[in-house]
Amino acid sequence: MKPLKIGITGVRGIVGQTFTPELVVQFAQAFGSYLDGGRILICRDTRPSGPMIRSAVIAGLLASGCEVIDLGVSPTPSMQLAVKWLNADGGIAITAGHNPAAWNALKFVRSDGVYLNPTQAEELLDIYHQGEFLKANWQTIKQTVQYKDAIPHHIEVLNKAFGLEHAKLNKLVVAIDCCNGACSLMTTKWLEGVGCEVLAVNDDPTGVFPHEPEPKAETMAQLSAVVKAGRADIGFAQDADGERLGIVTEKGERLSEETTLALASLIRLKDTTGTIVTNISTTGAIDIIAERFGGTVVRTPVGQAYISEAMIEHGAMLGGEGSGGVTVPEVQLSHDSAAAIGLMLSHLSRTGKRVSELVQELPRLAVLKHNIAVEPNHLYSILQDFRTTVERENLQYDTIDGLKVKMPNGWVHVRASNTESIIRIIVESENAAEAPHLLDWVRDRLTT
Amino acid sequence: MRAIPTLKISISGVRGVIGDSLTPALLTRFAQAFGTHTGAGTIVIGRDPRTSGEMVKHAVIAGILSSGSRVVDVGMCPVPTVQLQVRKRHAHGGIAITASHNPAEWNALKFIGPSGLFLDAGQARELLDIYHQGEYTKVSGGEIRVVEEVDGATDQHINAILDVLGPLPKTGRPIRVVLDSCNGAASIAGPKLLEALGASVIAINVTPDGSFPRAAEPVAENLGDLCAAVKEHDADIGFAQDMDADRLAIVNERGEPIGEDYTLALAALYVLQRERGPLVANLSTTSALDDIAKQFDCPIFRTKIGEVNVTDGMKLHNAVIGGEGNGGVIYPRINFARDSLVGMALTLHLLAESGKSVSELLETFPRYSIVKEKMECSSQRIPGVLRMLRQEYARFPIDTRDGVKVMLPDGWFLVRGSNTEPIIRVVAEAGSEDRAREIVSDVYKQVTTWITS
Repeated sequence: MKPLKIGITGVRGIVGQTFTPELVVQFAQAFGSYLDGGRILICRDTRPSGPMIRSAVIAGLLASGCEVIDLGVSPTPSMQLAVKWLNADGGIAITAGHNPAAWNALKFVRSDGVYLNPTQAEELLDIYHQGEFLKANWQTIKQTVQYKDAIPHHIEVLNKAFGLEHAKLNKLVVAIDCCNGACSLMTTKWLEGVGCEVLAVNDDPTGVFPHEPEPKAETMAQLSAVVKAGRADIGFAQDADGERLGIVTEKGERLSEETTLALASLIRLKDTTGTIVTNISTTGAIDIIAERFGGTVVRTPVGQAYISEAMIEHGAMLGGEGSGGVTVPEVQLSHDSAAAIGLMLSHLSRTGKRVSELVQELPRLAVLKHNIAVEPNHLYSILQDFRTTVERENLQYDTIDGLKVKMPNGWVHVRASNTESIIRIIVESENAAEAPHLLDWVRDRLTT
Repeated sequence: MRAIPTLKISISGVRGVIGDSLTPALLTRFAQAFGTHTGAGTIVIGRDPRTSGEMVKHAVIAGILSSGSRVVDVGMCPVPTVQLQVRKRHAHGGIAITASHNPAEWNALKFIGPSGLFLDAGQARELLDIYHQGEYTKVSGGEIRVVEEVDGATDQHINAILDVLGPLPKTGRPIRVVLDSCNGAASIAGPKLLEALGASVIAINVTPDGSFPRAAEPVAENLGDLCAAVKEHDADIGFAQDMDADRLAIVNERGEPIGEDYTLALAALYVLQRERGPLVANLSTTSALDDIAKQFDCPIFRTKIGEVNVTDGMKLHNAVIGGEGNGGVIYPRINFARDSLVGMALTLHLLAESGKSVSELLETFPRYSIVKEKMECSSQRIPGVLRMLRQEYARFPIDTRDGVKVMLPDGWFLVRGSNTEPIIRVVAEAGSEDRAREIVSDVYKQVTTWITS
């Protein structure tokens, strides 16, 4: 079976197989109908399929009576900010984020710049499936406007949020790897503008990904080499549309993507106390840090929309996920790798601390992640069987999203990916030697 | 009563109403089918100024890119410009986004082959088969190619005309022209060409914003503003284009429409003076062309109705000029397409080089009157009507390639069934309008009697 995922994070598939222009046109029509033909912003990452998807999106939106404002190639967070700035009714980001180059996707943003929540996503899907869309006639049909100021505006918001208006970050040497994605057009320009010395690799927005666009330890070898060779203070890796962030220390150590939120939490909690929102799958280090500083942690199902909504509900001071996505509410209520960069750099600059010193302060937990590719028609039955097994063994578990099982010395979390036809397994233990056993324990009980 | 559909998918392309039948998903599928038909290559697209043009364009781009071809977008420009670009760039095909003379709520795709000609019946059927089959070529994300936006396609078109015909010869006073572009695709290119030729131009209806200042077909009843402007400005000639700028109508120096059949007659008069060779026109175009061909001792060939049939006949007979009685002039030395810009340049050269007025030129060959009528007739009765007419008029020469054309001693008539509506069309031509009307009325009576008997 060929993969196509239509769900809470939007619609996602492989171009040339399931992700056809006709499907995209009809989703854009459904979204245009859902927003009653309002003003819609669109942006895309650098994938070569971007222009094809863009045209299909424009055709669908115009046909349903929308006014389309096209930001061109732009990080998704820049578009999310511009939705508010331009009083738009919503936005569509054309990006498969951290997925490989063959993929593309539509992600739907509402008028406050946040992704559709699960209820709204359901409503959109109902319109799509029903297939009856608003249709503009020749007198009401509108045109597309090009808009170039989303990135400059994003930079302005970042500088204001972190007090960087007057080049406060001088002397910091920062290495970046944009994976030739949308951030190629933003990060160097921004950081040089606030006084950093920037060592950039893969900042050519051609869309040819030099490595998988998922910022994790395995994909940051080149960045680590640049940090060491250039004696940089820190290295940052961004995904194709600028939501997720990976970090390399000044010593060249490639940190796990789980560490991004842990570091951000530590920095935040050192300054002030409050609530951190993260998903059920993210490291327990967040709870340990919060406890240390008197903060609280709220857990949600996996997916940005849940984080954003819970942050609003709890007035949180930070949100994020173990995937490397961090939400800093002073910038916006969605994951924004630039906001995470701003938070780190302003702290380093203000305190004079080294990243490796901050890492020393984090709890040492061993996290292992493992993905199992399965046929889309077996995804949920495999999870169901796993749950039966766990119940039979009388273990304590949580079903906020998939199945999180409490184990002696740690936990295991098994769930279906929102974006691909895979089962994601995460295990965490205070004891590094124990983690592989936990992973084996899960694998023995999954009948794939 | 059966609902009348607004969607028409046929060998001439796909046509429908925006906000009704012409949906972006349908357009994307058609573009995918076309990309599958051409194979991976280069496809040129252009559009007229209709308000739905941008939506349709993006639906088409998405479909083409998805099937692996590269897109050259020449923007808003006349259909003949798109056709010229396909040939000049050695592209694998083209899509013109225009519903030509249909009202503002319509739009359409017209498919162009690698030669710059519209797909012929066989090619169009292949395309429709692919469309209906629904299995299109889909390339992977990494193989998707780019859209190249091209400015200046209309300038290249104008230069192509000047390269062959040159500017107008200097006359005492520059020829004064009033141009009515119907706010259409030639709103920019039209005035620019006329100025480049050296004419003095008064342009009306040259705001290509998707509004229709008049009905788009350049027939006499739609040319009131142009006629008035010709008189008001004491102009030598008036030109009217349609929305996609393939057809041309002419108004004489007295502000009177000369009849759209005579656009081709004037163009042929100029071309045959300069180069002798075959003339090709369809069966329903004026007999004045026969007289002009005879005057220069050139052969004339008649084809079935439809632009593709005329261009096929022109290729077959190696014609120097050809076209249709609806104002479509095809001059292959510049562009193998109905081209109102070429039609204007030829006519102005004729005026300037002969030193005669439009009315004087029209007196150099016999004038005829054409009368066109239509009557309701269910499609299953049409063959019977045609058989009856063949028997009734058996004593006269008859051409049956497209309906029945009967050559009377003092004129002719053509009866054919419509491909799109349950009607039959009657066209008659004779030396006087009265006689032409008489012929039509005779035919009308016979058909009515036959249908009701």
